Amino acid sequence: MVKAIVIAKNTFQEALRMRSYQIILVFALLLLGSSQLFSFLTPVEQLKMIKDVSLSGIEFFSALMAILASMTALRSEFETNTISTLLSKPLKRSDFILGKFLGMALVTTLGVVIMSVVFIGLILFKQHSFEISLFSALFLIWAEMLVIIAITLAVAAFASTAFTLIFVFFLFLVGHLTSYGFSLSGEMKNPVLQVIIKFFYNIIPNFENFAIRDQVVVGGTIPITYLLKTFGYGIIYTAIALIVCLYFFRYREV
Amino acid sequence: METNEKPAALRIEGLTKIFHLGRNKNVTALDNLSLEIKEGEIFGLLGPNGSGKTTALKLILGLLFPTSGQIEILGRDHQDVEVKNDIGYLPENPYYYRYLTGPEILTFYGRIFGIKKENLEEKKEELLKLVGLYDKQHLPLKHFSKGMLERIGLAVALLNNPKFLILDEPTTGLDPIGSRETRNLLLNLQAAGKTILLSSHYLSEIEKVSNRVGILHQGKLLALGTTSELMTQWKAGDIEDLFIKVIEWSKQS
Repeated sequence: MVKAIVIAKNTFQEALRMRSYQIILVFALLLLGSSQLFSFLTPVEQLKMIKDVSLSGIEFFSALMAILASMTALRSEFETNTISTLLSKPLKRSDFILGKFLGMALVTTLGVVIMSVVFIGLILFKQHSFEISLFSALFLIWAEMLVIIAITLAVAAFASTAFTLIFVFFLFLVGHLTSYGFSLSGEMKNPVLQVIIKFFYNIIPNFENFAIRDQVVVGGTIPITYLLKTFGYGIIYTAIALIVCLYFFRYREV
Repeated sequence: METNEKPAALRIEGLTKIFHLGRNKNVTALDNLSLEIKEGEIFGLLGPNGSGKTTALKLILGLLFPTSGQIEILGRDHQDVEVKNDIGYLPENPYYYRYLTGPEILTFYGRIFGIKKENLEEKKEELLKLVGLYDKQHLPLKHFSKGMLERIGLAVALLNNPKFLILDEPTTGLDPIGSRETRNLLLNLQAAGKTILLSSHYLSEIEKVSNRVGILHQGKLLALGTTSELMTQWKAGDIEDLFIKVIEWSKQS
């Protein structure tokens, strides 16, 4: 575990130096700032719009950050061959993967926290209060990112950079549409298509579980049991993805 | 105790590595290699480009997986992670995080080795002085020349005070003074009881430090012994002549 933390610290420092990470963060902050442009709406509508756009933006840019940084963190080890020097030392492959995951979790957490602070500041400035349910939405975005980091590492452990990027972005999009697809499948007459959709619905993480902004924006409260269940759901997917990652990495020649 | 009476630091038996490059495309990088290196010995692995030297070193380190065969290092299976506490490795082109400075890279690897903080500071200073990089402490590795990278690589390889050193082309990129310093360092390390396996193209470098050499070509170990034994056996005037005769013989047969 100590060695995993050494890897995590190094991964975190390397990721902070990544230009793409910095650029994404700047774009995200710009988006949050631009929500001020909805001044033509009534104050109540404007607040709803700010919350909706900001939470969507935080989720999208966090995902972008998590995918790009996690993919680079692993692929660059292969491409620059630093991995061969590392694995010639007394470092277990499982510690390496765990370290990469922890490092990326830390980097993404930092990104989510920075964006959240700006978002909270914006809401406090506009309505002089901040609903607890908005914290719930931010917490689940963070939990969703853990799943995305683990999946990105799992794919990057065996696939090329381009494939990893395309596959994980595709999965991110599909993961937000599975519930919709599943509800549509009931109306389909083709049983084969129904089975296929059901299969993917059960396999692909349902990222819509983490997206509670529609409820939060209209002032709804989120039960703590829902938060814990969804967090647990995310942890299970994260653990499965890390096991898959380790399986591929264990037999990878460097 | 004579070197040949000592226990084996490295024992390889029937090591074969076949790379599968696609449908029906297989390349045998190493073919049934058997070799024993005794503790305290400097063993030179010679061979032209693509002969299988680096593949052999990577298999020993567990970076590649053998198609068949067995490898033991210091009496333990080479896949045992703990055995790597006793190994120092210098890759052909040292690959390190480019944004880190010399002391930072030593700190990073020192922690991987589990070296205590107080011991690590002392060790870092000693090694940076040894490899002549003490006055370059604030320079990130991305600004290092090839020779400087080789030097920091050597410092990393010595960080854990290893019993067994594996050095892939240790003098690449070094000027004549640097090469001589490395050569003297290897002899000093041998005097301190270390076992060294080095691979190189530089035949004269190998000849000057090695107790025994092995010549690899197309994945096969063609000759094994002391340079004087081999030169007598192959009727060669010097090590270059020996190398060429062995390779030519291999091509003809």
